[in-house]
Amino acid sequence: MHVSLTVNGQRAVTDVEPRTLLVHLLREELGLTGTHVGCDTSYCGACTVILDGKTVKSCTMLAVQAQGAEVTTIEGLAANGDLHPVQEGFWERHGLQCGFCTPGMIMSAVGLLSENGSPSEDEIRHGLEGNLCRCTGYHNIVRAVEYAAAKMRGEEPPAPEWEEASA
Amino acid sequence: MTTTEWIGARAPRREDPALIRGRGRYVADINLPGTLHMAILRSPMGHASINSIDASEARTMDGVHMVITPDDIPDHITQFPVVWRLPGQKDSGIPALAEGKVRYVGEPVAAVVADSRYAAEDALDAIDVDYETLDPVTDPEAALEEGAPVINEDWGDNVAIHHVFAGYNALGECHYDAEAFDNAEVTVRGRLKIGRHSGIPLETRGIVADWDEIHGRLTVHSESQVAHLFRTELAASLGLPETAVRVLTPNMGGGFGNKWDRYPEDLLVSIASMELGRPVKWIADRREGLMSTVHGRAQVQEWEMALQSDGTILGLRGKVINDLGAHLHSVGIGPAWVTGAAAPNQYKIANYYCNVIAAATNKTPASTFRGFGGPEGIFGAERMMDKAAKRLGMDPAEIRRKNMIQPDQFPWFNAAGAVYDSGNFPACLEKALEAADYDRVRAEQKELREQGVYRGIGISSYIHVSGFGPSPILGYLSYYTGGYEGSTVKVDPNGKATVYTGMIPMGQGTETTLAQVAAHHLGIDMADVRVVWGDTDQTPYTGFGSAGSRSNVAAVAVIRAVEEIKAKAVRIGAGMLEADAEDLEYADGMVSVKGAEEMRSVSLAQVAQQAYWAHALPEGDQPFLEATYVYDPPNFTTASGCHVVVLDVDTNTGRITFRNYVIVDDCGPVINPLLVEGQIHGGVAQALGGALLEEFVYDDEGQLLTTSFMDYLLPSFTDVPDMEIHHVVTPSPHTDGGFKGMGEAGTFPPGAAVANAVTDALSHLGVEADELPITPSRLWSLIQEATR
Amino acid sequence: MYPPVFEYQAPDTLEGALAALAELGDEGRVLAGGQSLIPMMKLRLAAPSHLVDINRIGELSYVRRENGSLCIGALARHNDVVGSAEAKASGVVSSAAPWISDPLVRNRGTVCGSVAHCDPEGDWNSVMLAARADVIAQSSAGSRSIGIDDFIVSFFTNALEPGEMVTGVCIPIPSGPSGGAYMKLERKIGDYATVGVATQLELASNGTIAQAGIGLTAVNYQNTRASAAEDLLRGETPSDELFAEAGAAAAAASDPQTDVRGDAEWKRNVVAVYTRRGLAKALASATS
Repeated sequence: MHVSLTVNGQRAVTDVEPRTLLVHLLREELGLTGTHVGCDTSYCGACTVILDGKTVKSCTMLAVQAQGAEVTTIEGLAANGDLHPVQEGFWERHGLQCGFCTPGMIMSAVGLLSENGSPSEDEIRHGLEGNLCRCTGYHNIVRAVEYAAAKMRGEEPPAPEWEEASA
Repeated sequence: MTTTEWIGARAPRREDPALIRGRGRYVADINLPGTLHMAILRSPMGHASINSIDASEARTMDGVHMVITPDDIPDHITQFPVVWRLPGQKDSGIPALAEGKVRYVGEPVAAVVADSRYAAEDALDAIDVDYETLDPVTDPEAALEEGAPVINEDWGDNVAIHHVFAGYNALGECHYDAEAFDNAEVTVRGRLKIGRHSGIPLETRGIVADWDEIHGRLTVHSESQVAHLFRTELAASLGLPETAVRVLTPNMGGGFGNKWDRYPEDLLVSIASMELGRPVKWIADRREGLMSTVHGRAQVQEWEMALQSDGTILGLRGKVINDLGAHLHSVGIGPAWVTGAAAPNQYKIANYYCNVIAAATNKTPASTFRGFGGPEGIFGAERMMDKAAKRLGMDPAEIRRKNMIQPDQFPWFNAAGAVYDSGNFPACLEKALEAADYDRVRAEQKELREQGVYRGIGISSYIHVSGFGPSPILGYLSYYTGGYEGSTVKVDPNGKATVYTGMIPMGQGTETTLAQVAAHHLGIDMADVRVVWGDTDQTPYTGFGSAGSRSNVAAVAVIRAVEEIKAKAVRIGAGMLEADAEDLEYADGMVSVKGAEEMRSVSLAQVAQQAYWAHALPEGDQPFLEATYVYDPPNFTTASGCHVVVLDVDTNTGRITFRNYVIVDDCGPVINPLLVEGQIHGGVAQALGGALLEEFVYDDEGQLLTTSFMDYLLPSFTDVPDMEIHHVVTPSPHTDGGFKGMGEAGTFPPGAAVANAVTDALSHLGVEADELPITPSRLWSLIQEATR
Repeated sequence: MYPPVFEYQAPDTLEGALAALAELGDEGRVLAGGQSLIPMMKLRLAAPSHLVDINRIGELSYVRRENGSLCIGALARHNDVVGSAEAKASGVVSSAAPWISDPLVRNRGTVCGSVAHCDPEGDWNSVMLAARADVIAQSSAGSRSIGIDDFIVSFFTNALEPGEMVTGVCIPIPSGPSGGAYMKLERKIGDYATVGVATQLELASNGTIAQAGIGLTAVNYQNTRASAAEDLLRGETPSDELFAEAGAAAAAASDPQTDVRGDAEWKRNVVAVYTRRGLAKALASATS
């Protein structure tokens, strides 16, 4: 079946079987391998992309359903090479280790912050609870999102914990 | 801080810029031209003989290139071996496909190679296997009984090993004294269970094999944690010379020990690629990942502790039954052995006996998982400490204080033969208690209980014997690999350095860490150090692999190689500065005449240029500025620490809510605190999963009931508390830099800390949380029993 | 995990979808959010030969008030309800919405899809039972309204005829003071309910309970109304003792199974505890 969609601002046209999952279209047809498959059953969120402004799990959606849609993947997040504040936060606050969940986690955080620019710790934890991470224990991901939220509000990010501790 | 003091710096990770842009490259991302895709037919039964396999229809399906059944495997292919073969241990290997019978759900029975994974999966449905059900055995204790179904016929029974620790310490002294238990003022018994769970990296296993017929070379893209050993074993099993195999390791989406082992699929894709002459790729889906990647933990323990009425421990004895699964995997019964070795923990216990029994069951093999038996040993020790304290009416902190090995007692030879090199156990305990505001929480606990809030405080101290390991000791333990770590450091003609390591990064930040170490000791900017890893053609052999507790070994290899380079730089610099080498020193990337650094010095780049021109090298020196050092540690390092957890139990539902989680960790001097803290956070979260959520559940038929993340529960954001980390630093006396391994330590104490806290919260009812995971259902049932 | 082969169409209009379903009969399956169906197909537990995707039918994407009811269209996502001011009119609906799976699934999955799925572990049908909702079923022959009690036939079985689809669900808004709550015990976020209890209370002017609704999740072969507990509450003055009695009656109406989530006895106890706690919450919001 014919599918045409916009991915990271670029128009993409391709033919797929109806059973092809969106994540496979992105990874295999378009070579955008930053979107990962972690669980296959819609629990881990490693495959999260933004589709028409909403975060979705691309392993639980057919490619043909994205006909005409605008999709943003992790590869499309850094504008003109500048890191998105969420990407910056993950780097600054050590919000990743193996990096496998990271693209999905970052996309979810972008989605969360687009709806709530000043989330509390509790709102961050609940807002990202559709994404699993096996390395970080989540502690530093929360700090990374707090960093990004401040940056996106145009404020100075909160001091890192280790400076607070030594202060 | 000068720009070259990299050790101890919170350097941001150099791994991250690619990973946060989605530009990491994991094995699933590797798409070679002409790649075919493999799907595996797996056993749906726990125990059955295979009468026949009919793949004739599948072989003719569109897009199918090959079907592999046992008959299609060339005769010269051999099973992967078990690396750790303790004396008396039964023998089994890891076959490519089930041979005549299946022993666990998920065991590979056949494989299909097709144009796409979709087509390969379709063809699996067309393979007809005639099974004849055999009686399964899923309970390890039942498996040991007379008349139990035998899983591996050539063993004669299901006992993989009985291994007895009988109080012989590393000095060969035997301190086991059964009479002390008979005569003790107090003895305390406990029967404990640890559920079957595992590392479950978010990236499943996967492999791409690419056979080049013209050059006779097999290139394997794998996320093996131990690429060189993997190459050795793969070449041997395929009947190829080792030089014919190259293993490339891209980014790894977590390993946690599970990817240390060798697996049937490694052979299957290689066989297919060599047969078809095309790249063949297999990536586990989550379902097959959960049923075919090694499981771990899974123990039943029975302990008896003898004490004086003042709380002094007189002895500890017990039995550890390891639910091994269908057969021995790459590390044999290693984890259960480590449990026996770790159980004396931080305490002055000389009188010790432990019988470790590994029992085969119709389940996925249990093998390598972060912590490697250590967390199980700590669980046993720390639950017994709390049981003893309760019996004696002592505070749990007090009984630990009373029995701890003191800072002036190192090296300490534990009763199971392990040598602890250093530590300050009391300092860790006191710091953790202080950070958790222990006395206040204890006082509040009483008031809250009157209001119907059941708050518990749990303490768990731990040791983590890390930095495996001295090769002669591995030999003594019949662990058939070396324990060294090699590193090559090259300084190029413009003075920038490249470190080549056999370590395989899995997310711990190895690249950053080793760059810090090299930059620090070379006295140059970290940005001027590149780290090369993940290619067996380029990196030094490492036999043991990249367990999270290995950075200390690899870091020392880097330091020693750098020291050789600095010595050579001084020799070359002597000629350039027309001075005696003895009058020179190397600092901050410069070779200088002592006392005249401003006037008479040359830079590393200038020296390197000379080393490459080789116009005037000192006699005996060869061109280039590079060195390789293979470091074999003289001893293990002992990391230690203490966790304190505060939580509430809802007695109506059995649910737990965390109130505080405090960690004190002593892994010696820290190379990068940012990374160390990240490792601890992650280790704790993983262990909390095993303490509260994660369990592979089998029914009596050997059917695995937890085959997706719907039922195998990984902790998520709202299951893991915020954590507070403090450090105590006691350097290892025998490693350069004093570093100790730390990547696994976070997983050691949480199980016991949580179980102790839950037991403490419900002390008025007499509930003992002795089985992990402590699910709401289990805990509520315990509460009912106690109140009935 | 890779789904088997199927035919696919995505009509732009409701008429188009109904025509397709009429033609396909038993062979056709509606694809809405797909958050249950697609994983089932990937696990090869479901293999529909033909999917009719309704995601292009914008007219079905609504959450609105209609004739004293809160009506949710077949394409309204769970998160449309979470964020809806209209949905606040029903305490039990707005309380349940954030408990559905996780935020990403809520962006895609639909309320009506979940209702039609009739998974006894699904949350929405208990909510609909407590709120006494009507399901709107449509086929090319016309439309009918089915009371939720009749709509839920059994385990994964609804009352739709071949060629019919759910186009919406309507939840009556009580005229008097009312409140509701959804209490869910899940092992972890994103899990199906181990036990779920939906409660709704409507108060008479004298403070007695005019109407009570209690729906139970995951403790029977299908989502169940705790009728005896409702009867016990109706006409009575709310009290802790009354709610505890209702909890016991609700527990008696449950027949949970021992499974990987836990023991039957424990689950039954949770039904009692959560019914009691849910009713207390519902009362608090009705009187606030």
